[in-house]
Amino acid sequence: MFKRQIPLMIVIILGFIFVAHSFIPAKISQDFYFEWYQPWVKAMSPFAVILGIMSLVMVHGTKIKRKAPNWPYSLVIFAGLIATAAFGFIWGRQAGTPYMWMFENVQMPLGATMFSLLAFYIASAAYKAFRARSPEATVLLIAAVIVMLGRIPLGAAITHWIPDSTTWILNVPNLAAKRGIALGVGLGMVATSLKIILGIERTYLGGGE
Amino acid sequence: MNFFDKLQHLDRRWIYLVVALAIIIPFLIPFNQRTYTTEPVENIYQLLDSYKGSDERALLMVFSHDAGTMPELFPMEVAVLRHCFLRKIKVFTLCFTPTAEPIMTMAIEEVKIEFPDIESGVDYCNFGYKPYALYMPIVLGMGDDIAEAVETDAEGRNIAELPIMEGIVNYNEMNFVMEFSASSAGYMWYTFARARFGANVAAGITAVMAADQYPFIQSGQLVGILGGLKGAAEYEELVDIFAAHENEQGEPAPREFSRAIVMDADEAIDITSDSVPYEFKKARLGMNAQTVAHVMIIVFILLGNIGFFLQRRKEKRMG
Repeated sequence: MFKRQIPLMIVIILGFIFVAHSFIPAKISQDFYFEWYQPWVKAMSPFAVILGIMSLVMVHGTKIKRKAPNWPYSLVIFAGLIATAAFGFIWGRQAGTPYMWMFENVQMPLGATMFSLLAFYIASAAYKAFRARSPEATVLLIAAVIVMLGRIPLGAAITHWIPDSTTWILNVPNLAAKRGIALGVGLGMVATSLKIILGIERTYLGGGE
Repeated sequence: MNFFDKLQHLDRRWIYLVVALAIIIPFLIPFNQRTYTTEPVENIYQLLDSYKGSDERALLMVFSHDAGTMPELFPMEVAVLRHCFLRKIKVFTLCFTPTAEPIMTMAIEEVKIEFPDIESGVDYCNFGYKPYALYMPIVLGMGDDIAEAVETDAEGRNIAELPIMEGIVNYNEMNFVMEFSASSAGYMWYTFARARFGANVAAGITAVMAADQYPFIQSGQLVGILGGLKGAAEYEELVDIFAAHENEQGEPAPREFSRAIVMDADEAIDITSDSVPYEFKKARLGMNAQTVAHVMIIVFILLGNIGFFLQRRKEKRMG
């Protein structure tokens, strides 16, 4: 029983405290944040790292133990974790250290390779998807071509109407749609937060009812 | 099967090949293009430039991305740091993700090569990596006292004792925050640092996510944005035209921002010569590749549509 009620009470009490802190700029509210909450979070945050490492070891340790599909990749994860941490602890993280060597020669090329694939997928998807099949698709197609031209110097070199039209597309129809989405998401977040603070929404506690 | 029919069923590997060539060849054979600057980038440049030489004004650069988005975001970071070092603007760097920390170090080291007199703790300070759990306490804490919220820099020094902190207490002085991110850049900063403490916020963001930021520019929550490689190229150009300007004797002669100078074709910077170091023109060199790639994609789209209409007409004729 207390397994659910105590976490629920913590969420409700702290939820109301933080709402009060955000909307009441009194000294007691500021003191609460800077003198109590801030040092407390600083002391608590290293435990999140411990929790993360424990979770990683449990998930991938189990995979290796059971020889689950692709288990050798879990060994690579452990090797990466241990090597990166060891390099950082022993030689530091400044320029010219093994830690930075690992970053420049392993992580950077891997990350750049993954992200650069996007260019190929976008090009291929644009070719396949941008067909003037309907009036709506035609509008999308024209907007895409104008924005693509407007985002390169060639567009402005052809005529200033292209970058001007790009700016209009981004500042008017794009902005209106994005703001509509943002307002919807914002209202949804307020509603969900209120439901959590008032204890109506409890699925985050797990267990299911 | 004619040419357009074949295009309708084109193997995507041909598209990949054309895109690869369109990107690689412009890097091997660089050429000059005029970089046209836009208002969101000019606004950032002007605000930051207004802090020049002031002990009571500073910029905070927040690095919130990993190595994958470096080709777009790193040139922006280098250009902004170069602007700060050229104009003696105090600058702080900070990150909340461990993968961003080496990028921060690399950016500072890359720019410092051209500025041997710039000193850590005096002209700039790298706050280093702080755990993500401290994001909110630090964002809000810096509104009260930066030294107390951040405590130590990347070198383990007590921030309160550093010379750079003379005249800098909170967002009243460190009045400009720029976050560089692959996704929602600036969100935490305009929600909390701007709304509660009045800090100016700008975002450096990848091109695919730039459209999301326009509502926040119109509402005034963002001073401006550097959107993708084009934003980086625009900032590089502005720094070259104004902050790094030299007189006829080749001596530094920085000048104030002027739209007329930006529009003057004679002021365009030659990126094919060695007059600008490679690290300070990376984005503009990249824009050559982006230009050719965009043109190729547009050509593919047009050919695809011509083929689509021809095929549809043929189908109608055949009933």
